[in-house]
Amino acid sequence: MNGALFLDVGQAQCPKKGERVCGDAFRSRKLPAENRVISVLADGLGSGLKANVLATMTATMGLKFVSADAQILPAAEIMMEALPVCRVRKISYATFTIIDCRMESRTRVIELDNPPFILIRKGEPVDVPHRELVSPKHRDRVLRVSEFEMQPEDRIVAFTDGISQAGLGTDRHHLGWKRAGVAEFLCRRIAAAPTVSAQHLAEQLLREALSQEADGCAGDDMTATVLYFRQPRRLLVLSGPPYDQARDTEYARLIDEFPGRRVICGGTTANIVARILHREIETVIDSGSRTLPAFSRMPGTDLVTEGILTLTRTAQLLEGDLQPGERNAATSLVELFRESDLIEFVVGTRINEAHQDPTLPVDLEIRRNIIRRIAAALRDRLFKEVSVRFI
Amino acid sequence: MKKYIVCICSGTTCFVMGSAELQTLADHLPPELKDRVEIRFSHCLGLCNDRNFSRAPFVTIEGEPMGGATIPAIIERLGKLVSGNA
Repeated sequence: MNGALFLDVGQAQCPKKGERVCGDAFRSRKLPAENRVISVLADGLGSGLKANVLATMTATMGLKFVSADAQILPAAEIMMEALPVCRVRKISYATFTIIDCRMESRTRVIELDNPPFILIRKGEPVDVPHRELVSPKHRDRVLRVSEFEMQPEDRIVAFTDGISQAGLGTDRHHLGWKRAGVAEFLCRRIAAAPTVSAQHLAEQLLREALSQEADGCAGDDMTATVLYFRQPRRLLVLSGPPYDQARDTEYARLIDEFPGRRVICGGTTANIVARILHREIETVIDSGSRTLPAFSRMPGTDLVTEGILTLTRTAQLLEGDLQPGERNAATSLVELFRESDLIEFVVGTRINEAHQDPTLPVDLEIRRNIIRRIAAALRDRLFKEVSVRFI
Repeated sequence: MKKYIVCICSGTTCFVMGSAELQTLADHLPPELKDRVEIRFSHCLGLCNDRNFSRAPFVTIEGEPMGGATIPAIIERLGKLVSGNA
């Protein structure tokens, strides 16, 4: 029974040298009612915008067909027929890896011409038996279908050939880094950091692939994706003073009672917790900037930040409207979100009167609205399980 | 030689009302104060909701709150403390 486990999904991508968009696409969808996560990695033949459109079409179609439990061979035929065919190679313009993970039963991986995925179990790559399906209409394209039961701490790593062929033609790798090189690197990283998150491992794999290239630039579009099946990591976020001051003690004690990582967002909130739990707060020198206040440390917590400005910036980062720059309170918070699976917000709703001063030079958003935005982005974009409770 | 401690609030209200600027205080200190001042930051001094004080941004200088703090006002206060005319 794997119902209590969580699937952590991460991906990292780099376009071919000289291109501005990546010709690979990765899409994931969570089907909570079925306790199922479906991910599709597609590589559009060629590079640039055209490849990106073809890969996106492939990934989107794959996701729809598998979510609807369509039979895989007819679905693959439709996908191949919907895409334009390469005049020279006479094959349709995309390859894919579909990972259909049912948390309480079996996982199925369907591959068409992408490098075979790697399953890492107990720190070692595991051979997974597969069967092959061939469509009578497309005899040159072979679908590989693998089915297996995921075990806690398993990782599925899928990547496009830009990764496995990295360094092609260099003295070090005449024939590229190869899948075996990727597997060896993954085992080494996991041995060094057994609980490394899916996102970090995907980023490390991409960086390592780039370092295999003679000039450090991608010779082909590169995408690395990691699915990590793990015990859920919990994160508690306290933000805002309770509406009823009589509940301050109960609120502050949540910090000590919580079995996971703990964050406080808000100066007044931090003061309440520090007063009740008798803790010191130390602001980290040089962690602030002209646009965002510094963050602080308090024993028993993983991060203490200012409230509204930091939360607003965090929402913008999660919604993809801002690129994370240097490390600051908001990027540190996003990092903690990424590394957690079950995220619980407890939001105090007492209004800070000073925020209502009409002479403030900026509009301060209402806390509960920002938290709702953050919660939605965590659910929809990072596939986290999120709960929000107001106090 | 005694160092005078300035603590700058970086709570939300103080930050938007000007403490973002106060973070550069060290760059504005005149030579005679440079070695006499230690600058610290607080996550929130908790003064903005206290009607007894004036307005954000708040700092404390040797523990004494100062409201509506500006870099010139902080330097003036520090100058008096250092010269013993406070």
